[in-house]
Amino acid sequence: MKAEDVRVCVVRIEGTNCEDEMANAFEMVGAKSEKVHLKQLLGQCDPSLKRSLEDYDILAFPGGFSAGDYVRAGAIFASRIKAGIGKDIRDFVDAGKPVLGVCNGFQILVELGLLPALDGTMSEEPTAALYNNDSGRFECRPSILRNDNRSKCVFTCDIPKGELLYCPSAHGEGKLMSNIPNFVSKLEENDQVVFRYVTPDGGRATYPWNPNGSPGDIAGICNPAGNVMGMMPHPERVMTAYTMDDWTRGHRSEDGDGKRIFTSVMKYLSKK
Amino acid sequence: MTVIDIRIELKKGVADPEGTNTKKTLESLGFKGIQSVKSVKMFEIELDMPEKEALAAGEEYCKKLLANPVVQSYKVTLK
Amino acid sequence: MTADERMTKRNAPYDLCDIRIRDASDKELEDISSALSLGLSLDEMKAVKDYFVKEGREATDVELQSLGQAWSEHCCYKSSKPVLKEFVFGIDREDVLSRGDAGVMVFDDDYGYALRVESHNHPSAIEPYGGAATGIGGIVRDVICMGAQPIGLADPLCFGYPDRKGEMPQGIKHPRYLMSGVVSGIRDYGNRIGIPTITGGFFFDESYTGNCLVNVCCLGIVKRKDLLNNFASAPGEVMILFGGRTGRDGIHGVNFASKDITATSEDDSRGAVQLGDPITKEPVIHACLELAQKHLVTGMKDLGGGGLSCVVGEMAIEKGFGADVDLEKVPLKETGLAPWEIWVSESQERMMCTCKPENVDKVMAIFDLWDIIATPVAVTTDTGRTRLFWNGEKIFDMDIEFLTGGPVYNRPYTMPKVSTKADERFPELPALSEVILKLLSDPNVASKEWAIRQYDHEVRAGTVLRPIVGKLNKGGPGDASVLMPVPGRWKGLAAAVGCNPWFTKANPYRGGMASLDEAFRNVVAVGARPNAFTDCLNFGNPEKPERLGEFREAVHGIGDFAKELNIPIPSGNVSLYNEAPGGVHILPTPMIVCCGLIDDVRKAVSADFKKTGSLLFLVGRTADEMGGSLLFRKFGGEGGEVPATDVKRLKDSSDRLLKAMDEGLVLSCHDCSDGGLAVAVAEMCISGDVGAELDLSAMDCPNDNVKLFAESTSRWIAEVDGKDVTRFTEIMGDAATPIGLTKGNALVIKGTDVEIPVEVMRAAWNDPIWNIMGGGAQ
Repeated sequence: MKAEDVRVCVVRIEGTNCEDEMANAFEMVGAKSEKVHLKQLLGQCDPSLKRSLEDYDILAFPGGFSAGDYVRAGAIFASRIKAGIGKDIRDFVDAGKPVLGVCNGFQILVELGLLPALDGTMSEEPTAALYNNDSGRFECRPSILRNDNRSKCVFTCDIPKGELLYCPSAHGEGKLMSNIPNFVSKLEENDQVVFRYVTPDGGRATYPWNPNGSPGDIAGICNPAGNVMGMMPHPERVMTAYTMDDWTRGHRSEDGDGKRIFTSVMKYLSKK
Repeated sequence: MTVIDIRIELKKGVADPEGTNTKKTLESLGFKGIQSVKSVKMFEIELDMPEKEALAAGEEYCKKLLANPVVQSYKVTLK
Repeated sequence: MTADERMTKRNAPYDLCDIRIRDASDKELEDISSALSLGLSLDEMKAVKDYFVKEGREATDVELQSLGQAWSEHCCYKSSKPVLKEFVFGIDREDVLSRGDAGVMVFDDDYGYALRVESHNHPSAIEPYGGAATGIGGIVRDVICMGAQPIGLADPLCFGYPDRKGEMPQGIKHPRYLMSGVVSGIRDYGNRIGIPTITGGFFFDESYTGNCLVNVCCLGIVKRKDLLNNFASAPGEVMILFGGRTGRDGIHGVNFASKDITATSEDDSRGAVQLGDPITKEPVIHACLELAQKHLVTGMKDLGGGGLSCVVGEMAIEKGFGADVDLEKVPLKETGLAPWEIWVSESQERMMCTCKPENVDKVMAIFDLWDIIATPVAVTTDTGRTRLFWNGEKIFDMDIEFLTGGPVYNRPYTMPKVSTKADERFPELPALSEVILKLLSDPNVASKEWAIRQYDHEVRAGTVLRPIVGKLNKGGPGDASVLMPVPGRWKGLAAAVGCNPWFTKANPYRGGMASLDEAFRNVVAVGARPNAFTDCLNFGNPEKPERLGEFREAVHGIGDFAKELNIPIPSGNVSLYNEAPGGVHILPTPMIVCCGLIDDVRKAVSADFKKTGSLLFLVGRTADEMGGSLLFRKFGGEGGEVPATDVKRLKDSSDRLLKAMDEGLVLSCHDCSDGGLAVAVAEMCISGDVGAELDLSAMDCPNDNVKLFAESTSRWIAEVDGKDVTRFTEIMGDAATPIGLTKGNALVIKGTDVEIPVEVMRAAWNDPIWNIMGGGAQ
């Protein structure tokens, strides 16, 4: 598949607010992205605006405060999707098409049951939660992520395992919890851990390097098939080096570290 | 009309930063003797159905939307 | 006759009173004003009476309430306008694109940027969370009304000391409570609508205890071809009200903002404080921008102070039109509102647009996609009058010129007495190291990370320089923040806050200048060229001659500074009557935001020392000007000369510094403000995690205290690599003085016993506010 043929659906509802930069990020790696309101997928709009999920190659859930984060972060967005186009989403994932959720988007994927989905595509009920940061506060600060995925995740296929990326965090609810016993080691076994928070020298992260207290310092995970990934930090905010926090202190390239995630998924699709 | 109260609270063992921070702040304002502060969330829902059905409906609302079973428990009562 | 007896309830299916005003005596006019909470003075009521005599009929309550709104200080600037006219209006430059609800300046050939700051002081003092949140909502609307995408927020805040001990005056909330609530309000609103909070400021002084200041600033970016007007372009256009519903919240908000806070304010004024709804606002942003881009509307305006009563008249009168309003069509939050309540309600999240009749359907379709309530409520006419109808029955018919004209006052003022060297009393100081650490830990200097990290300062992915700069999770204070507003273009917009209320108190003229100077030099410090100012002038009761004198002189200083540099002030806001119960007035606080442009953000300079072995320069001159300094406030000094600003010299040295930066000769740069040179260098050490060895012998000053702690304006510290020193000094001429080098991991000052490890300075600077406000991980 050629890059310019890749069509990205950046889906939003009221309160989604990182869709512009998410759409730009995909454009910057050559894809065509479109910001689509959920109502357009549900058909609750003028017929000329109606869109169908199957026309897209990548589905992206951007960050924000969808529906005000009322009830629970991501819960309202997720239940509207489930009720309206639950089957379409499941088909999309089963077809192996990449799905990315960042920040609130990650929360939505978890509420939808698409992550961690240890035993399949989509669980009936959420089996994990992204819960209040240990600090009890919204935390906007630099994070360093290590790619811990062995091979599975399509969003890191072009990033060597163990490589460190700078990626900013900005969330109040990012602590990944689950009632599944031995949750973290199960994710490990399944190769579902994608990113971990670490210190700048790659060491074990404590606060503030792990901004939310996630067990196992987990920042991002994928589904068992590797085509659905959710992460709390924002790669779409660091597509150039010059939006990275400490770029004035030296940087290795003109590109920002976040771009690696977008080039990875494009590389994956180029082989399809 | 039937009115139900839905009380969503954190499961035992789930940290409650909002409660903890609130406790700290109250203490910093000089209030004494506070043993613990727990944050809970309440919804009051008016329904046009008999009580028994309303309670059952409340349970469904919790399962489908209002509570995440990983961290939250819920209780539906008549108001 | 009592006021009650003058009011007759109309026999109609809605709640309306006719008010007999034409034969009212002076006393009775005052009674009417008071009974209806109009906030109008006797002279104003007499003018109203004359108007109805001329019209040959009595008034309705809707009409009187409308006048009460339109003639409030908040809406018509009746005390401040003559002063603004005399000193600051009229700096015209051809790159000013608009002076509408927000100012708009040229950004590049295709884009303009919008800027505006305003106050939300009184509501925030009563209910800090909702007050601050709705403040953000209002300022964002002002930017959207220009057709501009909001791209950044800046929130300068003033409180009493958050660790204030002792009894609080009655009716006054503790500064820590207010600060916590205000920051939460800004966080929740700003973060939820997805606009980064990129800069701001905290100013702590006992005088703000009873009257905190919450100033909110929004920046935006707009394609020049999509720039909107804030008014109708022709008669016959349809006015569409959209956004939130109308309720009783915020009734009489503007009259409240134009009065001092009193001990009973909380109970009296609940109605004037409102809750914001960011999730209504966020779709509104999308819809408005789409309307602007598709050129479907002719004008757009936010419903702020005075609600519908102000917006309808203002949108109609700009080009001399009138408007006919069907008031019963306004969507309500609750039933039973009287027409006058609907007309003056200040419910949040509401806006008005005007469009050609043939475009109404297209406009409504866009609102529908975003689930935004929108209702055509009025039509513009060629009558020059506003007429209100309730199901066809006329309840209001007034000349808009009269209604929006408003009174103007040249109130008496006294020239303030200024602080001088002659009355200086220099304080006794502990050892220099202790002085430096104490200054670093003063709340006015100490790290504001507690607040900054709660604000998303990089949503929209365009933030190049942040409020905290330097080593990751170990940074120090930045100067201006820098945004890259147009994806794919390296051109940058810098923004910084400046204000020195203590200078302004001690010498209003110099303080006004110094406040602009601070904002200006912050922008220069990052390598951007200052391009425009916006100001929020927070002062006391203008009916007191001393307070008005402070206001006049501060505005005089601001005008002289801006005119000399030919930098426009395309928008601004005045907040008067900032006084607490018992007449405690705030420090005069001219809050300034400066915007600057930088052609290539990749050349931006941050304030953290980059390495050891670089040479340090002081740019600018230091004089014996200790008046109003942090050193004096901290250690009990009195009097002293307040820093004067030589605008010509500022222009010369900033031009040179920007040239050096453009050539890539400056590794880091930081302005000298509170605490002077000593604090500036210490902050650069903290953020860079690098020490410095200072040798101040080349400075032309009477003594070390002046060299280290004077707060003379127009100064920066610059770090320059040894290989670039020749070229740097060639550019700078005598504007730069060598003061030492970066070295080791401590701050050392030659000829003194100062040797403070960077870690010790970091703890002194970093911890105080965290300790007061609490937080951190458990």
